[in-house]
Amino acid sequence: MNTYFLGAALALAVAMTLSLYRVLRGPTTFDRLTGLGLIGTKTIVLLVLLGFLTDRVEIFVDITLAYGLISFIGSVVLAKYFEQKGADEP
Amino acid sequence: MILAANVLLVIGLMFIMLGVLGILRLPDFYTRLHAMGKCDTLGVALVLIALAIHEGVSLYSLKIVLISVCIGLANPTATHALGRAAYRSGLMPWRGDEERS
Repeated sequence: MNTYFLGAALALAVAMTLSLYRVLRGPTTFDRLTGLGLIGTKTIVLLVLLGFLTDRVEIFVDITLAYGLISFIGSVVLAKYFEQKGADEP
Repeated sequence: MILAANVLLVIGLMFIMLGVLGILRLPDFYTRLHAMGKCDTLGVALVLIALAIHEGVSLYSLKIVLISVCIGLANPTATHALGRAAYRSGLMPWRGDEERS
């Protein structure tokens, strides 16, 4: 069962690396923000999986809850900021 | 129960991979936002519910379900805020006759 979770965590790491491509070379600022949100939600799952892998679910679940709320607030605030500023890249 | 958790985990990972494929291959910002909003919310919720089933009935599985509900509320809101911000800042949708980026 442990190798099963390890495989899932590795697949999530690959998915996060692939969405980093959109952050690095998205043509507009909003594309970069989309990739950032994708990485944020995958980090939530990866944190819970790390809790299962290290047998310390009780700590990692609380960390995950706090991280999820902060990630959501950051995403909305960045969207509001770039709404006023505008996407200045081509 | 473990079998159900495994099946849900694999289905959720498949949805997450489809979302990543969409964000890499779709032609413009709004279509990529579409792929991110739906596939990612469903995939993350399925994986978290699979982990909660695997944990069994306890306080931690309740917290994992709470995280899943939080994502189900927060991720569509963030997606909508991003799309609204992009539209108001003047980013036009893809018409199909331009070069994809």
